[in-house]
Amino acid sequence: MTSHHIANEIHHVVREKKPFSLVDDLLMSRWFLYSMSVILFLGIWYYVVYIDVFGRGLCYPHEVITEIIRLTSRKLAGKELWEHAWDSSRRVFIGFGIACVLGIPLGFFMGISKYFNAVFNPIFNLIKPMPPISWVSLSILWLGIGEEPKIFIIAIGAFVPLVLNAYNGIRLIDEELYDVVRMAGGSHMKEIWEVSFPAAVPAIFAGLQIALSGAWSCVLAAELVSSRSGLGFVIVQGMNTGKAAMVIAGMLLIALIAYVCSFCISYLERKICPWRRDLSTH
Amino acid sequence: MSHYQHVKVHRQRALVVLPIVSLSLFFLSWELVVDFGLVPQTLLAPPSAVVKMFFAKLTSTAPDGLLLQEHAWISIKEAFLGYFLALLVGIPLGLAMGWFRLAEGLARPIFEFIRPIPPIAWIPLTIYWFGIGLTGKVFIIWIGGIVPCVINAYAGVRMTNPVFLQMARLYGATSWQMFRTVCIPSALPMVFGALQIALAWCWMNLVGAELLAANGGLGFLIQSGRKLGRPDLVVLGMVTVALTGVIIGLAIDRIEKKLLAGMRR
Repeated sequence: MTSHHIANEIHHVVREKKPFSLVDDLLMSRWFLYSMSVILFLGIWYYVVYIDVFGRGLCYPHEVITEIIRLTSRKLAGKELWEHAWDSSRRVFIGFGIACVLGIPLGFFMGISKYFNAVFNPIFNLIKPMPPISWVSLSILWLGIGEEPKIFIIAIGAFVPLVLNAYNGIRLIDEELYDVVRMAGGSHMKEIWEVSFPAAVPAIFAGLQIALSGAWSCVLAAELVSSRSGLGFVIVQGMNTGKAAMVIAGMLLIALIAYVCSFCISYLERKICPWRRDLSTH
Repeated sequence: MSHYQHVKVHRQRALVVLPIVSLSLFFLSWELVVDFGLVPQTLLAPPSAVVKMFFAKLTSTAPDGLLLQEHAWISIKEAFLGYFLALLVGIPLGLAMGWFRLAEGLARPIFEFIRPIPPIAWIPLTIYWFGIGLTGKVFIIWIGGIVPCVINAYAGVRMTNPVFLQMARLYGATSWQMFRTVCIPSALPMVFGALQIALAWCWMNLVGAELLAANGGLGFLIQSGRKLGRPDLVVLGMVTVALTGVIIGLAIDRIEKKLLAGMRR
């Protein structure tokens, strides 16, 4: 978390002029505050369980860890924990891949061609406001309860932000960039390849991030409604057997995998478009 | 009329006609695919059936026990409660995290820990904690909506023009004064951006929550349509969810324009 703001630098200088005080220093030290925050969070968690607010609905934090360790050594519905995690991830990857293959080109062409846009934008606007989770029921009706309905929902959920961001990425390109290519005598194809495509990449990456978190929500919803494998299934099992530790373990694992995926995408973004350095806010 | 103008007019006309053609083709093929039995009636309802169902549901409680308006009202109530609670907590928290090191240090680790958990994942726990009533759903919507609020408010404060801050400091403003008079106003456009994002998130999580644990609401309508094998009910629920979402989004857009009138974007 480095900030490039001049304002913050001045902040430091002003602070250094204060007389030395240990408490002040500690309160200003980021890592001290972070560790305090974690300790406070865990402390409240322990206290809430100790005074028994939620009964069996919550367990001690260390029980979650032991539960994860226990789950790794035990089979659940014939599959190990890692296989469940892989099942969920595979669904996300396939659905997400399909959405990328269909959505990014669609948004791209909608951005560069008025006619293409006139044909597809109205239909896209019909689908856009429907929350992807509302497709769960219809997809189960159509495709049963196997792999396909889950992949379908993920693809739909990831599709909308991908199209939207690719489209807006092209639309919001600075007109002057086109003028440069035209001045240099570039053809229409050159305009598209040299300007439209690279200039839209950051927006497309933003779309990928949104689509990915949407995809994880969707896979979870689909697995909670009906499935026999995946981390959503682990959570449902924990719920049905009344084990809060198992539910929280499932939640943590999903969060971890989702976090790793989104980290990979932002790493890729930094590799592919290194000119985009600002906005390191999250 | 010169040749150039003629071509231009011709093109404009095509751009008006094409959306109408594509939309009517879409609905026509949807209708015909079902009517001619390419897709069985048990899997997909034609648009005409959905419209018929819409008018029927306005006055009849069959087959799921509530009128369409009642379902919509339950959903809107839940969504708005969760949404306003998210705004109430998320925006001040994000603003404070952007400016005060103490707030950032204390809140950030917990926030980063909770952020990647999909809100839907909280549903089983909330069923334990609050049952399947209003509170549980409001909690899920709240926890989903709070994330974009915090992120945008935080980014808004962080992106404050440093020149303004320097000037404020030059005139001897205290940290609190700078936060109140410089950071918050300049973060407002970002905060309003969060209103729309959070609304979309809230609306989506609402449907998820109602699919899994509810006895009323639009998500429940969709779910009972599936259980009864009534695709017209499912599609009606989806369309109503989408329409209501669009209407609320437009309303917030109007409010935003009113409040931000006179502010340069």
